[in-house]
Amino acid sequence: MAIILSDHIRTIIAQHAEETYPDECVGLILGRIDGARTEVKDVFPAPNRWTADVGLTAVDANHSLRDRFYLDPRDYLRAEREARSRNLDVVGCYHSHPDHPAVPSPRDVTGAQGIGGGSRFAFLIQSVREGRATELTAWTLDDTGARFVAAEMVVECGT
Amino acid sequence: MAVTVTIPTALRQYAGGNASVTLAAGSVGQILAALTEQHPQLGKHLYNEQGALRSFVNIYVGDEDIRHLQGIETPVPDGETVSIIPAIAGGAGSIHSW
Repeated sequence: MAIILSDHIRTIIAQHAEETYPDECVGLILGRIDGARTEVKDVFPAPNRWTADVGLTAVDANHSLRDRFYLDPRDYLRAEREARSRNLDVVGCYHSHPDHPAVPSPRDVTGAQGIGGGSRFAFLIQSVREGRATELTAWTLDDTGARFVAAEMVVECGT
Repeated sequence: MAVTVTIPTALRQYAGGNASVTLAAGSVGQILAALTEQHPQLGKHLYNEQGALRSFVNIYVGDEDIRHLQGIETPVPDGETVSIIPAIAGGAGSIHSW
């Protein structure tokens, strides 16, 4: 599958990730899934509402917004309503890895259980190093939902 | 007497590709039971082995999380929308492992 996004969308994600640095950012991506193509039409930046209270495991008490994100379901609901009003769908999400590579972590896999395997729901990861956005990567869950696989990402300039 | 249940993108593959399903009004539990009867594959994604809603599945009636209402006993009035919302979380590993 391929994830198609404009250079403008990529810039919005990069700017969001730089704004929240050194904390992680999170948001949803709106668009359409057409066969093997996911076309990203817009992004829906959301607050990172992670707290130790929403942690999935006890070890989360030792973490912070610098290495954790939580997308509040209320924000997902707002994004879904926004998407429907524009005849779009929530087709994925993005988050940043401050001072980390743009590679899914085991924690990302755990936190994606709600999405589950076998869908085309896209996960974009924006790396930020010393406050500057670097690489953006795209992933989907495999059929088991137990691991991420890299997805082709096409950035279209001038759109 | 009907309510609308919205299906998140990732779960539509288990719901015949539908973005929403119209069902008879009732409690959340009754509505979800009717939904999974129509689309059995959805069941394992909504419920755990004990038959309880999975922790990463959120059910909203209108703007309210049913965990803050009456859980699956929450009544859903005619014309209301039930939203199935997946939880999404994650994050990088140790902040010094770059």
